Amino acid sequence: MKRFLVIFLMLALGFYLIQALHFVPFGANRMGAPADKKTVAAFYLNETVPQTAVANVVTAIVVNYRGFDTLGEVTVLFLATTGLASILYKRRDEEETERVSKPSSTILQTGAKVLFPLVVILGVYVFVHGHLTPGGGFQGGAIIATGFLLMLIAYQKYHLSHSMLTWVESLAGILFVSIGLWGLITGGTFLENSWFPKGTLNSLISGGAIPIIYIAVGFKVAAELTGVLDILLSTKDDKSASNIQQ
Amino acid sequence: MSITPVHYIAVPLAAAFLIPILSKFHKETARIIPGLVFSYFLVISFVLMRQVSNTGIISETIAGWRAPWGINLVFGYFSGFFATLMSVIGFLTWLYSYRFKLVDSKPAMSYYILLMMLVTGSIGIVITGDIFNMFVFLEIVAISAFSLTSFYPGRDGAEAAFKYLLIASFSSFLILLAVLLLYTQTGTLNIAELSTKVHLIPQSLKLTILVMFVVGLGIESELFPLNGWAPDAYSQAPAPVGAVFAGVVVKGGIYATMRVMFTMFDINEMGQILLILGLITTIIAEVAAIKQTQVKRMLAYSSIGQMGVVMMAIGIGTEDAVFAALFMMFNHAIIKGLLFFSTGFLLHNSLTKTIAEMKGVAKKFPVLSFMFALGSFAIVGLPPFSGFWSKLYFLMAAADAKLFSMIALVLAVSIVEIVYYFRVVGVMYYHQPDESLPTKQPGLNAYFVMGFLAALIIGVGVYPDLITNFLHAAAYELTHKTEYVQTVLTQFVR
Repeated sequence: MKRFLVIFLMLALGFYLIQALHFVPFGANRMGAPADKKTVAAFYLNETVPQTAVANVVTAIVVNYRGFDTLGEVTVLFLATTGLASILYKRRDEEETERVSKPSSTILQTGAKVLFPLVVILGVYVFVHGHLTPGGGFQGGAIIATGFLLMLIAYQKYHLSHSMLTWVESLAGILFVSIGLWGLITGGTFLENSWFPKGTLNSLISGGAIPIIYIAVGFKVAAELTGVLDILLSTKDDKSASNIQQ
Repeated sequence: MSITPVHYIAVPLAAAFLIPILSKFHKETARIIPGLVFSYFLVISFVLMRQVSNTGIISETIAGWRAPWGINLVFGYFSGFFATLMSVIGFLTWLYSYRFKLVDSKPAMSYYILLMMLVTGSIGIVITGDIFNMFVFLEIVAISAFSLTSFYPGRDGAEAAFKYLLIASFSSFLILLAVLLLYTQTGTLNIAELSTKVHLIPQSLKLTILVMFVVGLGIESELFPLNGWAPDAYSQAPAPVGAVFAGVVVKGGIYATMRVMFTMFDINEMGQILLILGLITTIIAEVAAIKQTQVKRMLAYSSIGQMGVVMMAIGIGTEDAVFAALFMMFNHAIIKGLLFFSTGFLLHNSLTKTIAEMKGVAKKFPVLSFMFALGSFAIVGLPPFSGFWSKLYFLMAAADAKLFSMIALVLAVSIVEIVYYFRVVGVMYYHQPDESLPTKQPGLNAYFVMGFLAALIIGVGVYPDLITNFLHAAAYELTHKTEYVQTVLTQFVR
């Protein structure tokens, strides 16, 4: 009986979702024609290049037009790391440095050593060029974190300095907020971009504060994701958790 | 640099990123900085409320792009009421939990950061003028809430947090899908502009979007079939966090529901459904509360019941009903705060926190027990306390809408409420204390917080005009959306 009820509910939900999506034809241009200046999407497509000198319109939207949302998303990641660190926290004296992963083969160890710098360089490239090519801070940061994941898997004794991660994470966050506050202090609006020189389109230094913010986001995301991986990999079955009491 | 609504967000974010560094040099900063931020919230609230009463609704641009290109923040009486309430509860919670945890451990630092961001995210929901931005802040609130729920490793916090996480993810999915569908149909995310464009959406799609919003936001505001997470989360989280859940997080969910229903859409389209959902929520929650043996679970079910009544008032949809809903939310925030704060010390060293363990605590903690009893009397709506007025205004609004059967039901439910609250008070005062349980005396800061809340409850109870003018202005602003929409639209570039 219960199963039928669940199936019925799922079917009802599916029906309404399909019906809703039926109003959004596949492949149709729902953003409005670029000629129609009244829509938000057309404005972004037409005005981004002349007004902000950013070649990648998506980056301009993410970091500038809707930069406030991005600050929020960065905060979500920050809070997830903070929360995870507090939930999986162990006191110093009972902390075990051993990892959950098994010892790896020589092939993996050698390969990781070769690949690691390349992966990090690719990540840095992706977030430094976020305003020119597809990609950006989040993507670049995630790539760098995979590089560290490779090292963590290959070397059981690979040591990450948590203090260093905290510094990187916090300084990058502070840089982002400071750029925002700078706009307020100079009499404009929060996260205002027009105070920075625009630079020339398609060159590395262009788009005012946008590349700076994206580099900060790249460092922050890389530090946070690496921290999460390290916490998760060094968590064993919790035998000792129940004796920490309030 | 004058004070603007964005300070509510920018300052705590800067502080949150600073704390991990500063606490490396001096441990105490981890709990002092959030206190400074909460104090600053009070200043912002005060300054902005004065500005609103002088010049009307404030609409602030972010990133130098006017809406709808960029994001805007809107601060009027309605948003201001919520933001001020959240600031006050946040500050009091910080003060109460100042000595709650030792700062020499990393989790303690996280506790203060997460508490600060929980309040900040809720204020963000309240002041934003952009529907997608509201979704981002809902996420911030949700992530902080999960972590705080599972804060104590020894309790069943992980299970509660996981349950909460699953349900809240579903809620986020529905809200995001609703926002996406709105955007495909109107090409804008600005709430004020959406309110002028929703009539362009085909009727059946509009209904789907509305249902998604009701379900998605109903999870946050503890509506009936969607509130399975609440009792677990309330009972497993630290006591001050329970007060924040009741006083801040749920209020954020209700605010979002009201903003979507009143400003973006027309309340008449969903009013009946909200009314019925609220009614079912209240009846089921209050009946469930009677059966609880744990104090915090009982408080959680009572909280759900109260939110059901608020949802009913929203469903009625008149200005008087909205006024009653706001008054009830104000009362719920301060009274539930007092109840959670006093429970926190009454059952400090108990793991199970059952009602049976409250036996005779009045002899051990006369002041705390008095606070709990006062909160109980206030929340069921006895006359000299503030809870009486909100219930009365609600019944008056329901009578104006000719919903007499509902009045009867709410009164019947009030009797149920009296039964379970008075049972606890009876256990506290008319039983012999169990001496075996270790106790912990609250510090001066906790006494101050509880004293302040008790004074507020009695003060508003004796002289409700302290806040009614303010609430009337907020209710008027919500039910007459023209000023809100005009203020934002005149700033538009096109």
